[in-house]
Amino acid sequence: MVGSDQLLPDGLNGPSSRASEPSSGVRLPLTIRCMETSALTAVLGDTWFGATLPVAARARLASVGQLVEVPDGTVLIEEDRPCPAMGILIRGRIALRLRVQGVGDRTIMTLEPGEVFGWSAVLPRAVATSTCVAIAPSVAILFDGVGLMMALELDDTLAAAVYHRLLASVARRLSATRVQLLDVYRAAGEPW
Amino acid sequence: MVTATEGFLARGDLDRLFQALGAGGRRIVGPTVVDGVVVYDELSNVVDLPVGWTFETAPGTYRATPGPSVRAFDYGVPPTAWKRFTHPPIVPLTRSRRDGDLVSIAPAGEPPPRLAFVGVRACELAALRIQERVMRAGPVGDADHVARRDAALVVAVECATAASTCFCTSMGTGPEVRDGADIVLSELDEGFTVRAGSPGGAAIVDGLALPAATAEQERRAAGQVAAVRATIGDPVPAEGLPERLRTALDHPRWADVAERCLACANCTLVCPTCFCTSVAVASDLDGLDATTERQWDGCFSLGFGRVAGDANFRPKVKDRYRQWLTHKFSTWWDQFGSSGCVGCGRCIAWCPVGIDVREELLAIAPVGASTGPVPWPPSPAEGRAPAELASVAPAHHALATVMHLVRETNDTVTLRLEVPDAAIRAARPGQFVMVEIPAFAIPPISISRIHPDGIELTIRAAGPATRALTSLPVRAQVALRGPFGRAWPIASAHGRDVVIVAGGIGLAPLRPVIDAVLADRARFGAVRLCLGARTPRDRLFVAEMAALGGRVDLEVAEIVDRAGPEWLGRVGIVTQLFDRAAWNGSTVSAFICGPERMMRATAAALERQGVPPAATWLTLERNMACGVGTCGHCQLGPFFVCRDGPVFSVAELGSALVREGL
Repeated sequence: MVGSDQLLPDGLNGPSSRASEPSSGVRLPLTIRCMETSALTAVLGDTWFGATLPVAARARLASVGQLVEVPDGTVLIEEDRPCPAMGILIRGRIALRLRVQGVGDRTIMTLEPGEVFGWSAVLPRAVATSTCVAIAPSVAILFDGVGLMMALELDDTLAAAVYHRLLASVARRLSATRVQLLDVYRAAGEPW
Repeated sequence: MVTATEGFLARGDLDRLFQALGAGGRRIVGPTVVDGVVVYDELSNVVDLPVGWTFETAPGTYRATPGPSVRAFDYGVPPTAWKRFTHPPIVPLTRSRRDGDLVSIAPAGEPPPRLAFVGVRACELAALRIQERVMRAGPVGDADHVARRDAALVVAVECATAASTCFCTSMGTGPEVRDGADIVLSELDEGFTVRAGSPGGAAIVDGLALPAATAEQERRAAGQVAAVRATIGDPVPAEGLPERLRTALDHPRWADVAERCLACANCTLVCPTCFCTSVAVASDLDGLDATTERQWDGCFSLGFGRVAGDANFRPKVKDRYRQWLTHKFSTWWDQFGSSGCVGCGRCIAWCPVGIDVREELLAIAPVGASTGPVPWPPSPAEGRAPAELASVAPAHHALATVMHLVRETNDTVTLRLEVPDAAIRAARPGQFVMVEIPAFAIPPISISRIHPDGIELTIRAAGPATRALTSLPVRAQVALRGPFGRAWPIASAHGRDVVIVAGGIGLAPLRPVIDAVLADRARFGAVRLCLGARTPRDRLFVAEMAALGGRVDLEVAEIVDRAGPEWLGRVGIVTQLFDRAAWNGSTVSAFICGPERMMRATAAALERQGVPPAATWLTLERNMACGVGTCGHCQLGPFFVCRDGPVFSVAELGSALVREGL
């Protein structure tokens, strides 16, 4: 179906949820679904990002993450502002937007379940390069930037695995951006 | 086949032969001197022949000089080739008229003149044969060429002297005349040995009641052509040349020769086998009456490889020289089973900067050169057969009437046409038609839906012709030619999962695939439709696709390149719809259409997903004009996209899909 979404994995619909400020530093009224690390590890394992992580690295990563519900329209990260958290989208859709002077917000890419957002959180300056907005009711795993950086610095195996996947994700977007820059669908002249 | 000497024609009796050739009003064309150059032109009498003229040629040099010799055929091949008479530089095609909504199109031109070609060299006979293979023995005969060739009588004259630019021996076309002539002459000082090469030639020779040639005359005639062979030698060893060139597409010499080449196209104009043409349209100021005519064109013209979107597949001189040379000596074999060069040397003598094709060949594809990877399957002709073509003569048109139109986007309109012509109504998904309205150029348009009583065409206004087509009112007529091209091999996907990937206007030629798959849904596994567009406003068939999205037996996903905040769908490129999908790619057949760069990215992403290249089909865009592979515009390596495609598998194309400048 047009716009069809991936089903929420089993275990995400449990009763133990509460509204609070997540430890990720994202100061929004997100609903945190409290989960055992093992359950969150399983959720992570169902994503493109986590599926092939070494088991120990996946569990370690899950231990610094929180599963959150993100209402439609929530601005998770703002362009040019500190990026406090990295996230992996589990369900829903997130738009990456740029402000263009005189034009307004432009959506440059949307993220589908399994994709990463807020990777600036693990870069030295930790300043967001785009605005992340949920454009559908979404669920994500958020990783507090400071906590994640510490975990990566302390665990080389985890760092190697996470940065490898981040690089693959960045490369995929770079490749897509190049094609978008070519504007291949642009109508122009013809030989007739 | 020329087998035996029939007689001897004394020099003083040459006029008798001319009279016999001219019987019944046949006009004689042969060598004569104009402005110091020997050319082929109409002869009034034997006195017009270049008696005594000899010549000197070298790269970039041709000089004819009068002298005391009594011989009439000791000149080298002139800049004129016989194609001037069998494939003239300008051929009227149609006269058309628009009267309100109604269109009428009639063939133009006149019956070809009956000509006798006198003085045809062995290499030129080979050139006539090669053009025959292209225009008569191809999938569809060129009616004008066939009529002109059939109306011509050929009198060959074996070479008694060689030019320094000759290399017919390497190309296997001369200097001896073996077949293809009605009459063969060998010139000696005192006259000509004469042989008949056809029943028509034999009748003429018999009518002359010639005495037999003496054994000594036959020996001298044979001796002088043998001397020519020895003089020329074997300057371009041809064994394995097509293969060596095929794997030398990245040779640095292409750039080197491009520094010298002026791209003036002299080589293609003087070449006796080059056959490429374009169609020119002329009209009255009011645009109601128009004519079309076919004109010589060639791969050195900058616009020859230009297509919609201001793209040009051969923008550089390097690309165009490579196309010309590889076509002549390599891909011509793939297309027509012969070399496209006869070794006449015209391109060498008449190149203003003296580029010597022999020298370039030896530098680019020397004997014993190690060969690189083969850029496409070695024998495309052994793959899927070219399209079976219906009546497609340039003057054959079927009128169609606009019954309904839908504005899809601000620049794209779908015309629903009622088409009485049964051949067009029998079109298959993936085929295209040439669409003409008087006074406008004639674009190829893919069929976007096939109905029992007609077709739909979805057209984006990108130039004058398509703007005119997208502005037509209901009840207006258009003229169609076709259907052309190979269809999507939908049956090959029976029992398999189907992925259809469309980008922008590329959804139009894929729509009949969707129709066909849904009409026979049980024969296919999972069916996924991935749609890309520039912006949300550029999406085609929006309501139709939304309705398909509601079906349970079909997955539809769409994505746009860019959007404002009001768009809540996907933004990105179309490959992101499936590049992380958990398919079993080996069971997938894919059908792709969109801008070529998008198709390349899609084909690569599908291959990474495990979809076999032989089961990944795409439709290419080239500057298709004739639709039957005789105008040459749409060549891609060994392929004529109009005839061998436009639908190809990724496996068939090999690296031709990704190689720049082909």
